[in-house]
Amino acid sequence: MASQAAAAFNGNMKKALAGLRRINLEGLRWRVFDAKGQVLGRLASQISTVIQGKDKPTYAPYRDDGDMCIVLNAKDVCVTGRKMTDKFYRWHTRYVGHLKERSLKDQMAKDPTEVIRKAVLRMLPRNKLRDDRDRKLRIFAGSEHPFGDWPLEPYVIPPRTIREMRPRARRALIRAQKKAEQQLQGAIDMRKGRKKEAEAEVTE
Amino acid sequence: MTRIRRGYIARRRRTKIRLFASSFRGAHSRLTRTIIQQKIRALVSAHRDRDRQKRNFRRLWVTRINAVIRESMVSYSYSRLINNLYKRQLLLNRKILAQIAILNRNCLYMISNDILK
Repeated sequence: MASQAAAAFNGNMKKALAGLRRINLEGLRWRVFDAKGQVLGRLASQISTVIQGKDKPTYAPYRDDGDMCIVLNAKDVCVTGRKMTDKFYRWHTRYVGHLKERSLKDQMAKDPTEVIRKAVLRMLPRNKLRDDRDRKLRIFAGSEHPFGDWPLEPYVIPPRTIREMRPRARRALIRAQKKAEQQLQGAIDMRKGRKKEAEAEVTE
Repeated sequence: MTRIRRGYIARRRRTKIRLFASSFRGAHSRLTRTIIQQKIRALVSAHRDRDRQKRNFRRLWVTRINAVIRESMVSYSYSRLINNLYKRQLLLNRKILAQIAILNRNCLYMISNDILK
């Protein structure tokens, strides 16, 4: 049953199925999140709400009743601004002076699933249920996953009101667009000019 | 002056306290002086938490109502629901709303749609 989907999934099978037995899967839904083109933090916020079970009327803070969440296309998650190069993940190894840091770009190159996992984990309440909730999160860098035979439900992310650009930013954007157009025009003209010269040479 | 022993007075007092703490864990149900301290702490916690209980339950009801309301339609939330309730002067409290949300979700949707108009 699981072998067909598993055969198509080339990745860490052991990691994907780790600890599945520990979770009591009765009555839990399997929600699938597609991270392609989503902003990192906003997606993580939605995931953390679902993982805590806060979208159910039978929510209780002392027990963990969240749904299983599968996140696909983790490598296509977006960030705004300059965070790709400027957002740093920092940690200290308890040796003096050993404060290590790694930028978002390097982390995505190394392991894109860790980005989303850290984001969601840091949005969950820090209590004893946090580890169990972490176990319910399964993140995959691509769009393949070995859970094909469970009843999966895609999670529809509600539409969001994107703030309209500030006047100065908008003017800068228009200027950049015009510049790009001019460059394109220049390239076409140069090519046309060269063609005409070639024709002129041929005729002459 | 004749010598007077205290007798069983202290023991009677302490057995009552011991009965109170008879289900506590470890030394808290066995050692007399610890028992007295733990009984005081237990009673203090109970007194404080009786007031907290009212707050905790209200928080739980609010969370549950919020969960169900957000699922009903786009960009609807608990805060807007309560605002509409107050505007229409509907006297349903959060406890009842939460129970309706668990047992009869469609009923809650009907109420919220009715209030919205």
